[in-house]
Amino acid sequence: MAEKPTSKVRSGQSQAESVEAFSDVDEARATGLRQILDENGLALAAVPTLSAEELVRMYEGMLRGRLLDEHLLTMQRQGRIGLHLDACGQEAGVIAAAHALAAEDYFVPALREASAALYRGLPLRTFLAQMLGNANDLGHGRQTPGQVGSRAIHHVIGSSSVAAQMPHATGLAWAARMRGESTVVVGFVGDGGTSEDDFQSGLNFAAVFKAPVVFVCQNNQWAISTPLSRQTAARSIAIKGLAFGVPSFRVDGNDVLALYAVIKDAVERARAGRGPSFIEAVTYRMGAHGPTDDPSRYRDPAETAAWQRKDPLLRYGIWLDAQKILTTEAQAAARQRIDEEIRAAIAVEEAAGPPPTSSLFDDVLAEPSWLLDEQRAEYLRARKRGRS
Amino acid sequence: MAYEFRLPDIGEGMAEAEIVRWLVKEGDVLAQDQPMVEIMTDKATVEIAAPRGGRVLDRCFAEGKRCPVGEVLVIIGTADDEDRTPSPVTPGPTPPFATAPVASTPARESVLATPAVRKLAREMDVDLTTLTGTGPGGQITAEDVRTAKVSAGLVAPAPRPMVTGDVRIPFRGVRRQIAEHMLRTQREVAQFTYMEEVDATELVELRNKAEARLASHEVKLSYLPFFIRATVEALKKQPQLNAYLDEKAGEIVQRHEYHIGLAAQTPEGLMVPVIRHAERRSLLDLAREVERLATAARTGHVSPSDLGGSTFTITSLGALGGLSATPIINYPEVAILAVHKIAKRPAVVDDKIVIREMMNLSLSVDHRMVDGHDAAKFVAEIKSSLETPGLLFLEST
Repeated sequence: MAEKPTSKVRSGQSQAESVEAFSDVDEARATGLRQILDENGLALAAVPTLSAEELVRMYEGMLRGRLLDEHLLTMQRQGRIGLHLDACGQEAGVIAAAHALAAEDYFVPALREASAALYRGLPLRTFLAQMLGNANDLGHGRQTPGQVGSRAIHHVIGSSSVAAQMPHATGLAWAARMRGESTVVVGFVGDGGTSEDDFQSGLNFAAVFKAPVVFVCQNNQWAISTPLSRQTAARSIAIKGLAFGVPSFRVDGNDVLALYAVIKDAVERARAGRGPSFIEAVTYRMGAHGPTDDPSRYRDPAETAAWQRKDPLLRYGIWLDAQKILTTEAQAAARQRIDEEIRAAIAVEEAAGPPPTSSLFDDVLAEPSWLLDEQRAEYLRARKRGRS
Repeated sequence: MAYEFRLPDIGEGMAEAEIVRWLVKEGDVLAQDQPMVEIMTDKATVEIAAPRGGRVLDRCFAEGKRCPVGEVLVIIGTADDEDRTPSPVTPGPTPPFATAPVASTPARESVLATPAVRKLAREMDVDLTTLTGTGPGGQITAEDVRTAKVSAGLVAPAPRPMVTGDVRIPFRGVRRQIAEHMLRTQREVAQFTYMEEVDATELVELRNKAEARLASHEVKLSYLPFFIRATVEALKKQPQLNAYLDEKAGEIVQRHEYHIGLAAQTPEGLMVPVIRHAERRSLLDLAREVERLATAARTGHVSPSDLGGSTFTITSLGALGGLSATPIINYPEVAILAVHKIAKRPAVVDDKIVIREMMNLSLSVDHRMVDGHDAAKFVAEIKSSLETPGLLFLEST
């Protein structure tokens, strides 16, 4: 092995077979950093073909996520909602993926991708009803706030199990292929999730069976308090995908245009039957992991400040303004309009109040049982007695 | 109309939060969602914004204090409210999920009880519809059911058959106090016991020599003064064991006075006379004091001034003292040391089995404040002093 092989063929494998090996180009894609917009909002590479309307829609989608997060974080601390995990700073990957999908495609969120559901047509009020677990919530407040799901828009309900989304996404994609549908699935995972068994299983099955799935890893540098340096010794997260024979890309996770370009290509490859892709979006969790987490205990504030300058909304806003697609004034107007829209929706949904206690007996079993009927009747009798 | 903002459970099952910093003063006019206070839960420090606009009428907890979940944290009036004493509260459009306790639920609208409680009620033959629940939202708890059963029992006590030969002793006085005190410890303290073995051969030799010398002083020198001295020296090094928990202030108070309680059997029952300022006393002085208190205990003449105020307790049954025990802490102290009998036992010294004077120590500590590591260090300290008792004079007064 004196000479450096041009193609990294795994040893022990027959050269006669056509082995899907990875080249230097593959490796460069998985360890470099694909970028279109730099931190200052300057376009360094060709911008994907998108109409002005689409570009504005993506901006507003990110902005809506940001503003909603601000409101929900405040409400959580006021005791108005039980839990909120925000996506501040990570909006680009969510919206880029949502925009790259067709209506029939499936979105499998990890933790911080709820704004993709709104982007793909979930009414804001439906989302807030779920967040509040109020009378309008289809789940009657039984699901963790924010883990909204919707059949109508093919947005899979959230799961708190880390990396469970990888096999879920693969399964959905594989099912679509077996049925001969052209559906593509996007599945999200975090940097912490890449250390889970489910990450390996999902990726491996998808690769072997060429499932039409695109995995997006939101590498936000922190799995609660575990930094990336303690998460993996690999040169990047994306490079792990190459070991499974999956085309893998490392992309600036705060650059919505670069993310869109890479995810869109991956979606098209999947739709054409060419199998899965794995995309690492290099981003940063600007806030805490959740309400019980205090990042000041383990994170250098200088690190957070440095990422503040890489804000995905900021750079995209600068570029949109420079392109005269959406001026700074128009951006401010959009902010105000969306904020009012959110405030109004919150007011309406908060007024709806909690679901009736009797709804506890609903949806327990597909077919009503005598036991449930009896319990419900007893409850209603007791209620009546208490009132009279 | 004033609005009471109650501290919600913003963590996952938190019970209280410490007020770190108020960002507003009484009299300030707030906008809705304006940050008003920084609080620290056991997990994180977070800012809470005003759930509605208005004038701050009352900040109910000072900085550094702990506010329980569900308590009123701040009272907000309207902007033109000048009154600092809030008018009776109408919750107004309270956010439906604020964790305000449901104190004013419309008269018990149903029997609220979990299946387990319902089962208990059936078993105890208690009618749930006759009870008022004390649980959240008026829920009937298992305790409510038991209380109902007990009070029903008190109203109509079941006749108890007298069996010849049974002796019935009124449960009151010292016995009852002991019972309540012990129960309180069991209820409030997370107690664990740590046991260790001590080679007391040198201690026995020293004490025998000392006793011979002291014959003229008319003082009986037991081992207890040595144990007290060793304990005080160890407490100086591990001040967390000479402490109590001030729950109201949310502070652990470490004492730098060493008042050693001695569990003593009196004709009326267990009492704990106290040796004040054990750290200021010589061994001889300790011996005199131990003897005085022991005599008082034996004859049932312990003076009230000798009781109470101990910072640490030692329990010793002398020659009866068993092998090991799980002594119950003398609340609100954080630890109690039981010293057991000294007896000749085989021990291994320099790889040979020899006869040594061995004894055991059992230390119970309150795990809320003292961890196993500290308990072990404390006992190791005492062990080392007792095994080489000359060390006790290194820092003696």
